[in-house]
Amino acid sequence: MTDPVISLNDVRLSLDGNAGRVDILRGITLDVARGETLGLVGPSGSGKSSLLMLMGGLERATGGRVSVLGHDLTAMGEDALARFRRHHMGVVFQSFHLIATMTALENVATPLELAGVGDAFQRAEAELAAMGLADRAGHYPAQLSGGEQQRVALARAAVSHPDILLADEPTGNLDGTTGQSIMDLLFGLRDRYGSTLVLVTHAPDLAARCDRVVHLVDGALAAADARDAAE
Amino acid sequence: MSLKNAARIARRELRGGLGGFRIFLACLALGVAAIAAVGSVRQSIETGLEREGAVILGGDAEIELTYRFASERERAWMDNAASAVSEVVDFRSMAVVGQERGLTQVKGVDAAYPLYGTVQLDPAMPLSDALAGRDGLAGAVMDGVLVDRLLIEPGDRLRIGAQEFVLMARLIREPDAAGGGFGLGPRTIVATDALAGSGLLEPGTLYETEYRLRFGDGIDLGAMEAAAGAALPAAGMRWRDRRNGAPGVSEFVERLGAFLVLVGLAGLAVGGIGVSAAVRAYLDEKTAVIATLKTLGAETRTIFLAYAIQIAVLTGLGIAIGLVLGALVPLALAPLIKAQLPLPAVFAIHPGPLAEAALYGALAAAIFTLWPLARAEQVRPAALFRDGALAQFRWPRWPYLVITALLLVVLVGSAALLSGLERLTLWSAAGLFAAFLVLLVMAFATRKLAARAARARLLRGRSTLRMALGSVGGPGSEAGSVVLSLGLGLTVLAAVGQIDSNLRSAIARDLPDIAPSYFVVDIQNDQLAEFLTRARDDAQVSRVETAPMLRGVITQINGQPARAVAGDHWVLQGDRGITYSASPPSGARVTDGTWWPPDYSGAPQVSFAAEEAQEMGLKLGDDITINVLGRDITATITSFRDVDFSTAGIGFVLSMNPGALQGAPHTHIATIYADQAAEARLLRDLGAAFPNITLIGVRDAIERVAGMLAGIAAAVTYGALATLLTGLIVLIGAAAAGERARTYEAAILKTLGATRGTILLNFALRAAMFGLAAGLVAVAAGGVAGWAVTHFVMDSSFEFEPVSAIAIVTGGVATTLLAGLGFAWRPLAARPAQVLRASE
Ligand SMILES: Nc1ncnc2c1ncn2[C@@H]1O[C@H](COP(=O)(O)OP(=O)(O)OP(=O)(O)O)[C@@H](O)[C@H]1O
Ligand SMILES: [Mg+2]
Repeated sequence: MTDPVISLNDVRLSLDGNAGRVDILRGITLDVARGETLGLVGPSGSGKSSLLMLMGGLERATGGRVSVLGHDLTAMGEDALARFRRHHMGVVFQSFHLIATMTALENVATPLELAGVGDAFQRAEAELAAMGLADRAGHYPAQLSGGEQQRVALARAAVSHPDILLADEPTGNLDGTTGQSIMDLLFGLRDRYGSTLVLVTHAPDLAARCDRVVHLVDGALAAADARDAAE
Repeated sequence: MSLKNAARIARRELRGGLGGFRIFLACLALGVAAIAAVGSVRQSIETGLEREGAVILGGDAEIELTYRFASERERAWMDNAASAVSEVVDFRSMAVVGQERGLTQVKGVDAAYPLYGTVQLDPAMPLSDALAGRDGLAGAVMDGVLVDRLLIEPGDRLRIGAQEFVLMARLIREPDAAGGGFGLGPRTIVATDALAGSGLLEPGTLYETEYRLRFGDGIDLGAMEAAAGAALPAAGMRWRDRRNGAPGVSEFVERLGAFLVLVGLAGLAVGGIGVSAAVRAYLDEKTAVIATLKTLGAETRTIFLAYAIQIAVLTGLGIAIGLVLGALVPLALAPLIKAQLPLPAVFAIHPGPLAEAALYGALAAAIFTLWPLARAEQVRPAALFRDGALAQFRWPRWPYLVITALLLVVLVGSAALLSGLERLTLWSAAGLFAAFLVLLVMAFATRKLAARAARARLLRGRSTLRMALGSVGGPGSEAGSVVLSLGLGLTVLAAVGQIDSNLRSAIARDLPDIAPSYFVVDIQNDQLAEFLTRARDDAQVSRVETAPMLRGVITQINGQPARAVAGDHWVLQGDRGITYSASPPSGARVTDGTWWPPDYSGAPQVSFAAEEAQEMGLKLGDDITINVLGRDITATITSFRDVDFSTAGIGFVLSMNPGALQGAPHTHIATIYADQAAEARLLRDLGAAFPNITLIGVRDAIERVAGMLAGIAAAVTYGALATLLTGLIVLIGAAAAGERARTYEAAILKTLGATRGTILLNFALRAAMFGLAAGLVAVAAGGVAGWAVTHFVMDSSFEFEPVSAIAIVTGGVATTLLAGLGFAWRPLAARPAQVLRASE
């Protein structure tokens, strides 16, 4: 495997919970290649979301090394991480996480604006239209259905043509048909921009559409995957 | 049945603790506490005045005479009626020590003084010992202020009029000080006997005698007043008794107290906004609970009651905290207040003002919570499945609106009734209500404008500003509560600032350079010519005016009692200065009728001040009867003339033909216009040449008045600051309430690539916009209130004062900024993963 986009080396994450220190991730070593679509599966509480957050620099590892596009995320400050994300990453969550005080269009334009892109709104409009939401641009999140909200979130994640798309159960809150169409849009985005995609999911059929699937069990990679990663 | 269910639900909900109601309780408690404290202090003073009525008055009753002592017959009646009589004579004079001299209010007393209370001296000694003097010289005791000004110490000599005294002690406390109202100079007490050779108590000089009477227990003061009226000649006699020992002072205290309670009510209104916001936030949080309860079959009424009970319990708690604070703080500060106060005060827990504060608190809480409570009814079970952030504005059902309006009427009505300042209360309430509406409109306009500006193409790319505008204009904006609470607090402060500065500049402006340096009284007939020559020959004196002066009381108009004809006009209150003149005084303009010929010697004629005559409904040809030194003079009004009382020059309401008054003993007054630099020398020169005359420095007198006004302004400013403090609590409450939303927002923005600096700037911009909106409305509304007070109450011209206005806008922006940024720390520090996971 040449030139991994994401490279995790013995990554550990422990957090202080109410009942003392909890080891959430216990030494994960994993590479994701450019253009690859990686599925992350595992039982609830196994640490999938945590791993994804670490890849996005939204969580700080307590041990090991997280390196993305050749940058060592563990060594970067919070603002540097934010700037890094605005150019290279798009994140989609199970519960959308749109900004309630912004319209759909503003939500989508925000990453571009933060990056100082001049035609942020035109590009945002185009991206929304590509998601079939041209006529919903002026709506606030609360005025949109769940599927529509997730499509806005997809547009927001993709609008800056990121190298990496991170998606945490993006269809988890949606019904089957809507989920299906969201998934089609997500894979479409990946194809259009040639992004690397890491997808957390419980659904076997979605996992099946991935290039590779790793299983997480109790904060560690399942034996078979660990062997693969070590190759 | 629904009540029982409601109570059960309420109890379960309240079990969760009161953590979310800190702002609610703080706002209500602070408002109630401020009102209760002001009311308690006022009641303490009033109780003190009442209980100490005899001490303040100096006796159970007092008979006051003007420019004369009681006749033998009168004194005999008093000695017979009362168990003890004390004679006091009171007048203005100059105390002189070598080259130094100072205006003083002299009190001549007899051996019986004081009938009640004690005089406190430093060094401590009985008053009788002090007044006995030493080395054959009569003694005097004097207010420390004057002692210091004259650079003397006990043991030194001083002169009053032509009489020499030895200063025996400083006067620390004069028991009957408050009864006489506000004198023009610091007090000196001497024995009346020692004044015999001073030349100060000549016929025609201005002095008052007060006969303090002590009665046995169970005396009927009303009957005694009637008996005195029947036995003594009515004219020039004034009866006062301990039922109201210091009418001027107690009225002043009552007014100021009532006014401060009104300021406190403004604070309660500001607190009400916080209360309302807290209830709204609480119920928003409970949307899911309410929807669930409805799904489970709870009726609308039950739900309303359940939350109304919770709010009522909390209101009771808030009021109780406020009452405890409002009752205890004045008690704790009692020694401090007592030391500052020249009045007796009885500090205790006074139930009256506490009940008043509780009433206001309960009414305000009801007014401000009914509306948000009514929304609880409107929650539909479907809310469980939809995001509540965009809940549409809906009017509550009409009964709620009617009840809110009624409660408002009751609140304003009871405030008007209890304060005794009906007009002021109604106007203040109207003003506050108007400011409230303007602020509501402003909050709405800010949102709309911000929303529109955020859409503007111009701003595309300026992400931080656009985001800030977007959230100010978007759903869930804090504009309403922040702009309202801060705006209302700042409005009160701005109004006080404008009124205060206009009051000050009115004093400075209306006292133009044309005001005289000195007002001179008690110039005897035989001194007048020499006085005028000396004064006019002085190179630094630009002008000297003089007029003869007597004092008299207008008793009848056209044969009818004057008050029955002209009502309670100020000209009829007490005695008035009267002058006589052969020709119209220079500068006076006769507006109607004709002045008597220079050599007129017929029946008495009078020229009346035109404006006052019109107010009293007098016409040419009316007869007025004036009692001058016990003699009734009836004169016909033959002319009206303009008199300007505003320049501190000589101005008389009444001027008569010389023949009518010349025979009565009288003195002359004069005004001296001179360079300010020459004033001190003039005081020495003229004072030395004419020991009996009194020179009153106009500048000093004005400073005394200005000083008193400054004290009132300070009290009112403290009241306004309490209002602002409540506004701050509401503001902090709003900032704290918004913290969770901002934390979430910051996490998303970070995910999208925003740096902490960008997010902080975004929060700061929002806060600044709220502060600016609130500050601008405050300055405008405060300006209007200032104008209204200046124009309608003070009858003076209004000038907008920009310094305090700018300070208030800046203060508003800075405050919101601080509150906003104070609560930005946690949102900025939080790690996005934690925040986003928590709201999955
Ligand atoms: N702040 C925290 N403190 C302590 N423990 C935490 C914290 N956040 C998460 N955890 C724990 O970390 C473990 C992994 O959580 P994570 O959300 O990554 O699991 P997941 O695999 O995504 O589960 P799911 O499929 O339910 O989304 C869980 O056991 C969770 O309880
Ligand atoms: Mg998860």
